[in-house]
Amino acid sequence: MTVAKPILLAEDNPRDAELALAAMEAEHISDKVVLCHDGAEVLDYLYCRGQFKSRLRGNPAVVFLDLKMPKVNGLEVLRTIKADVNLRPIPVVMLTSSREERDLADSYALGANAYVVKPVEFHKFLSAVKELGTFWGVINEPPPESCRSTQ
Amino acid sequence: MESASNHPSQASLLATERSKPSDSVPAGSPDFSHGSVAWFHRLTIEQRVLAGFSLVFVGILVVSAISYHNTSILLTNRGLDGRSHDLIQLLNNIDAAMSEAEDAHRRYLVTGEASYLEIYKKVVKQKPTFTAYLKDLIRESPEQQQRVGFLDRMMDRQLSAESKAIAQFQEGGFRAVKKMAFEGAGKRELGVIHQIIAEMDLHERQTVGRRVVESAAGTRNTIVLLGIGALLQLVLLAWVYYLIRHDITERRRVAGELQRRGELLEAANKELEAFSYSVSHDLRAPLRHIDGYAALLRKSVEHSLNDKAARYLQTISDSAKQMGQLIDDLLVFSRMGRQEMLRTAVNLDQVIKSILSDLRLDLQGREISWTIAALPEVQGDPAMLRQVFMNLIANAVKFTSARPIAAIEIGVEHPSSTEIVLFVRDNGVGFDMQYATKLFGVFQRLHRADEFEGTGIGLANVRRIVHRHGGRTWAEGVPDKGATFYVLLPGRRLDS
Repeated sequence: MTVAKPILLAEDNPRDAELALAAMEAEHISDKVVLCHDGAEVLDYLYCRGQFKSRLRGNPAVVFLDLKMPKVNGLEVLRTIKADVNLRPIPVVMLTSSREERDLADSYALGANAYVVKPVEFHKFLSAVKELGTFWGVINEPPPESCRSTQ
Repeated sequence: MESASNHPSQASLLATERSKPSDSVPAGSPDFSHGSVAWFHRLTIEQRVLAGFSLVFVGILVVSAISYHNTSILLTNRGLDGRSHDLIQLLNNIDAAMSEAEDAHRRYLVTGEASYLEIYKKVVKQKPTFTAYLKDLIRESPEQQQRVGFLDRMMDRQLSAESKAIAQFQEGGFRAVKKMAFEGAGKRELGVIHQIIAEMDLHERQTVGRRVVESAAGTRNTIVLLGIGALLQLVLLAWVYYLIRHDITERRRVAGELQRRGELLEAANKELEAFSYSVSHDLRAPLRHIDGYAALLRKSVEHSLNDKAARYLQTISDSAKQMGQLIDDLLVFSRMGRQEMLRTAVNLDQVIKSILSDLRLDLQGREISWTIAALPEVQGDPAMLRQVFMNLIANAVKFTSARPIAAIEIGVEHPSSTEIVLFVRDNGVGFDMQYATKLFGVFQRLHRADEFEGTGIGLANVRRIVHRHGGRTWAEGVPDKGATFYVLLPGRRLDS
């Protein structure tokens, strides 16, 4: 836990983002969270380009992906990540409102590591985000950084 | 046709108001005038085609019969013509023979030459043959028969007169018959014979002429009949062709229309799917925000929050949760109608067991006496049927909550080989039978929200699932005594 890897949260809705951050704040992991507002930003971050050109190299501990996002949607981001040898080890957790079977099936088919439906009740949402953040950001051992040259 | 028939009926209405007996006339007459058309329009296409072909068939039969009749008349006339021809020939021969006899007997009387007598005798010998042949040829004409009788007598008289003269000649020689030899013994009769034969000849020729005209007319009639018959049959066949063609066009149009509607329906279904996807995804987010921010608000003003404000915040949260539940239920309901259905054997005993184990938490602190019969195996979608019994049992548990000891019974009603009637009975609050039809509607509730929780979609789901299995649902209830919910599933398969 010395060099904490960031948690990448892709969430286009600022309210959802705020609620998620509020939940993680309670667990003191909110400072590790990098917030992206759409799929394109997630890819920019992962490939260190655009606004993330000068960020510290290295993959995030986990990516929390919303399905429905402007520009590039969650499934497309997921496909890109799992198709790239360097990015493939990053755990990807789908965090979405959709309970549709089709979305579930598509996500797992593309290699998602987990699929979480955002509960409507805040206390459930709170505990879900807390647990996810703690598990993936703290408890889970992220994959070793095999290749650091992510240009 | 609608507007046309409206006027008479209005007229009849007015007539009814004025005087009762007169209204039957205006009401009845338009019906009668359209009667034949209406009668035809009531026939199916098959009946019309059959009628058309029957008419063609009957037409062919009639034309054939008449043609046969006319042709046979022609053939008969031809035969009669042959006989007439023979008769005319025979009459000529008789005429010549009788003249020859008269001539020969006179020569014999004058010369006594035996060769003349031979010629005469030959004619005498021929005479019966002539008569027999004549009678045979004219046996169908009474007029000619009279003449032949007369002719026969005249020929006999001529020949007998001549024979007598010959006999006198042979007895008394030329002197005895001198006068006769010059005048001829049967001269007078021969004249009559010539006359009769001429008459007969004329009559026969006239008959032949008449017959020729008749035959020509018959032939012409037959040709005209054949022409008209062929034309009528052509028209009928064209009509039948039109009917069949029209029917095929109509059917093709309907098939096209059906296909078009099928495509529209498919498009509508796709749209509905997109809609429910969007609902599922987008409608939940604001609810989450309402609940979330209410919770955050509560947290940040926790210390200064009075009871009233706390209750308001709680209500905001509860409403958001309730709407979340409604959306979820509605999505399940809409998915239930479209979802692919499995058809396998479902062991209901196991389904009930697993439902009860799922309800374990809700059943804590409740005293319920369960009566569960052995249930049959049914054909259907396991997950859907589980949903049916889940809803029914959860309802029974919910609506018996006020009973100190709840009694819930699950069983099969008079098992038969064709249908399976399952029921879930409780001794809960029941319902008034006048609302029985409302029970299975979407968002239909018979109890106030503060009495029993629920979104009013559970029984709608039950009905939808059972309908998709080809079955029926109904319920019986008595207020404050309990309710029984029935599920009828179509027959178990006895084979395999």
